Amino acid sequence: MRVLRRLLSFPKTNVERTAIVLGCLILLLALVGAFLVPFDPMKIDFRAKLQAPSMLHWLGTDGSGRDVLSRLLYGARLTLASTFAVIIVVVIIGCTIGIASAFVGGAVDNMLMRLADIWLGFPPLILALGFASALGASLEAAIWALIFSWWPNYARLSRMVTADILSQKFIASADALGVPTHRKVLHYVIPNAMDVMLIQIALDISAVMLAISGLSFIGVGAQIPAPEWGAMIADGRSYVSNGWWIVLAPGIAIFITAVSFNVIGDMLRRELDPTSRRR
Amino acid sequence: MRSRARFIPVLVAALSGVSSLAIAAPTGTLVIAENETPENLDPANATNSTVDELLLGAYDALVQFPAGETAVSPRLAKSWTISEDGLTYTFTLRDDVVFHDGSKLTAADVKFTLDRLKAAKANVLNDIGPLSGAEVVDDHTVKLTLSKPFGPFLSALSRIYVVNKALVEPHMAEDNARQWLAVNEAGSGPYVIASYNPTEAVSLKAFDKYWGGWDGNHVAEVVFRYITEPSTQLSLLKSGEVQIAPDITVEDKLALMKEPGYVVDVGQAATPLYFDFNTASKGPTGNPKFREMLAKTFDRQLHLDQVLMGLGTLPDGPLPTSWPGHESGTELAFDLAGAKKMVDDNGWAGTTLTVRYLPAIQEEKSAVEQLQSNLAEIGITLNAEGMTWPAQAATVQKVDTTADINMIYSFPPFPDPHAILNASFNSALTGSNGGYNWAQYSNKEVDALLNEAASSADPAKRAELYKKAQVLIGKDFAVITVSYPGSVVAVSDKVEGYKYNAAHHQTFNIMDIGLK
Amino acid sequence: MRYVGQRILFSILSLCVLLFITFLLSHVVSGDPAIVAAGPNAGADKIAAVRQEMGLDRPLLVQFWIYCSNILHGDLGTSWFTRQPIASDIIRELPPSLELVFVAMVINLAVSLPLGLLTARYAGTTFDDVVRLVVMAGAGLPIFWLAIILQQVVAGQWRLLPTAGRLGFENRDFTGATGFTLLDSLMQGRFDVFADALAHLVLPAFALTLLFTAVGVRITRTAMMGEFRKDYVVLARAKGASEGRIMVRHVFANGATPALTVFGMQFGWMLGATVLVEEIFGRPGIGRYAVKAVTQSDIHAVVAVVFVVGLVFLISNLVVDIALFLLTPRKHAGA
Repeated sequence: MRVLRRLLSFPKTNVERTAIVLGCLILLLALVGAFLVPFDPMKIDFRAKLQAPSMLHWLGTDGSGRDVLSRLLYGARLTLASTFAVIIVVVIIGCTIGIASAFVGGAVDNMLMRLADIWLGFPPLILALGFASALGASLEAAIWALIFSWWPNYARLSRMVTADILSQKFIASADALGVPTHRKVLHYVIPNAMDVMLIQIALDISAVMLAISGLSFIGVGAQIPAPEWGAMIADGRSYVSNGWWIVLAPGIAIFITAVSFNVIGDMLRRELDPTSRRR
Repeated sequence: MRSRARFIPVLVAALSGVSSLAIAAPTGTLVIAENETPENLDPANATNSTVDELLLGAYDALVQFPAGETAVSPRLAKSWTISEDGLTYTFTLRDDVVFHDGSKLTAADVKFTLDRLKAAKANVLNDIGPLSGAEVVDDHTVKLTLSKPFGPFLSALSRIYVVNKALVEPHMAEDNARQWLAVNEAGSGPYVIASYNPTEAVSLKAFDKYWGGWDGNHVAEVVFRYITEPSTQLSLLKSGEVQIAPDITVEDKLALMKEPGYVVDVGQAATPLYFDFNTASKGPTGNPKFREMLAKTFDRQLHLDQVLMGLGTLPDGPLPTSWPGHESGTELAFDLAGAKKMVDDNGWAGTTLTVRYLPAIQEEKSAVEQLQSNLAEIGITLNAEGMTWPAQAATVQKVDTTADINMIYSFPPFPDPHAILNASFNSALTGSNGGYNWAQYSNKEVDALLNEAASSADPAKRAELYKKAQVLIGKDFAVITVSYPGSVVAVSDKVEGYKYNAAHHQTFNIMDIGLK
Repeated sequence: MRYVGQRILFSILSLCVLLFITFLLSHVVSGDPAIVAAGPNAGADKIAAVRQEMGLDRPLLVQFWIYCSNILHGDLGTSWFTRQPIASDIIRELPPSLELVFVAMVINLAVSLPLGLLTARYAGTTFDDVVRLVVMAGAGLPIFWLAIILQQVVAGQWRLLPTAGRLGFENRDFTGATGFTLLDSLMQGRFDVFADALAHLVLPAFALTLLFTAVGVRITRTAMMGEFRKDYVVLARAKGASEGRIMVRHVFANGATPALTVFGMQFGWMLGATVLVEEIFGRPGIGRYAVKAVTQSDIHAVVAVVFVVGLVFLISNLVVDIALFLLTPRKHAGA
């Protein structure tokens, strides 16, 4: 209850409140949207192709006669699930490396962090493109590709937090009591790292989503008939002259989702990040 | 509307006809949009239409299929004789042909060209049958010998572009000049490849010493612009930046038919589009029963009506219905309920298959979606992998890496049943043998029929043999023939002389085209 | 000068990491590189020969060494698609992309720096809020979608700018020494070509930069915010210096350094993002080349693009850092 009340005290402006409502709504749609779809998102009906938005098809139909709204709702799950898959794996891998690096310390720590620094700098999209094409085009390949290029973010972040905690006094006393490493991680590091991770995750949602849809757009991500939003835009490209809605709808969906999570991430940073609060 | 739009330019052309006869110099620039970029400029790859459309203007072959004609006519060869046994072809070459570097084209160049293609194991030789060698008789006489008779030999020579020996030979090294000819041109054709930027544009300029001369209305420069997006091709056509746009969507083409200023040319193409089942697979498609089920899952009529918007012909088996030797009723009709029953009876539900196709081609994508949707209804998942032509071609070089289903267009290089049936179904030309039989289909009886038909010169007998072959192929359920789309090309009405060439599908007869 | 030495050392270290990553991609992830390099139609004997020639039968560490020395000699392999050395393909495709990124960068700086400075100065006001909102919106726009929409609306509907390509029809034969159309046209005094090339660059550059500009404004704002709180600003104000003078002479001059470092990095990121823009606008370039290579499974060409973009990234960072160091030497004296 206290956590909830604390969370509810975060939003300070209408923009932030709207973003939270939209963000929740999008997550909800991603969860249950597939059950709400008015039409089968995969079912081809060429007789109904390229219909403009109407009462029957709110967002029109695409070049193969599929209902754009149904594909959008169904694709919400696909797009967000891929995004979260990337983030979850990246958090696990990144934090494992980061925390281990901080505990081990010394030259290994130094080397790993240098590696992360450098790796992080390289253009993530082109790195992911290289990796995805090495693996062969599929949504899974795109997901792995982004994991491959994103992990250093969290390695660095978690290493920073862990090193910070390890330098504090209560750790020295825990050491004196002979607390084993895994308990130190569970009891001190993870709870303290939560806030910082949460901010980073919220900010990364839009970045990862844009990257996945970008890869799908190029053709190395989701394949037909999967209604991943980037793939839907790629699919609608040929029809812009007589079916503008096919490209417009998924683009706006990506836009709204990305902006909502950006605003939420920004808000979290203001409320949770000690360095930004000091300002 | 359409007739009026055509009338005015015709009048203008008629009025200006007198002067254009007097000045026999090519003028103006023709810009053609193209959605796929060319691999390279090597005549060894002339089977690929994106390459062929560039070579067609830059090179000459011994014989040619002029646009709109179905019989070969002389080109570099003035005349030829065929020996009684059908094994020796002696060609007399024109003596006025010069390459773009000014040197004379002689019989040695023809021999060099064929020797090089053989050494390079070029794709373009797949259709040329049992060629065993070339021999220079004198400067303007060349003798080609076959190891056994081959009916369509002359037709097949229309894709063998003769290269300049003196230029190419120094680059032969270990790769048979593949790297050099990939970006350099050594031809004698009406146009010289002036610049080659394969991600942007390729420009061809009229060759002033062209042996055919420049009488009539011709363009001085042809530019192929590589524009992937159909919508971009459309806006460039509308803004006048391109004059020929072949790849805009069918819907847009239908709309252009009603607009003044444009002509939408619908050519009677004979290019069947297939779903090739991997018949050599260890997976489900290796089972003829399973293929029989698959053969019932595609609605060709729907595809013709709604995807091609009626611009094409309904397929009835792997050969165009109007061709000699066509056999009716060899493929199963669309029957999803029947297929569903087979799936249920055999417990095939839950099977997952993969199809590879070219997403840049709208009708291929639509056909894949259609098949995916139908198969999903009967409990089979069809994963699609979009690729480009060379990548897809690379996957069929081994049976293991061949997808369960591949979409492939057969572009017959000459209008003869051999060009379609042999290329697509002879076991000597399977994907793993470097051919276009991507079904990896192998049936000894079919091979025997195809080989016999190829070596015969009697049209009636050949037709009979091809009919038998089609029946056998049908019983093995090797392919679904999806469609025979028409060749639909949107052209600005400033262009005159464009004519669809069935022997060079998806290319343009640039040497006949002029601008009004 | 010690800083410069350290900076160069770090770049060399980064280059090693880059080589390691591309090696990983081309030799480990993509399966058997011999099959890839031998190309289609290769028989088992050819593949075995290639394997030996490439040293693939040796330990991985030795292979890595061979790989590095090849690349450092400028050998990026051969594209089995174009049958050309990849290095020569890339040399042809790089100038148009760099030109695009350069124009995008100019737009980026022209918007980010003043907007960042002003929002920092007027932090907390409605102006700041509105800009923040616009910036957030900009950061959520997919580059490729924006490109399509801009192309359709600005070029297609309004006909204000060209739809596609690098130059207009009338200038199609234009060539120059450097391959950078803007530069070449100026060198030849062809201002019409320059204007034409620029017109073709505006839409793709804008689509490419928007996302980066959104980040750029925020980074600049944060950097400037710190400066406004410093004592010398208070002092300058107390001395009665005008607000404009304070902003430009003091805050901007000092606060720009950390922001410019980020812009240096953005240059490389933008070059990577050309894969999302060039194909749509039918422009030649490294991005379009990469997309083609990906769809043609031309792994070596893709990895080469990854390497070259990474290299450009390293170089642009190095140049920016050293330039900043030389321009403001005191700041780094203690480091």
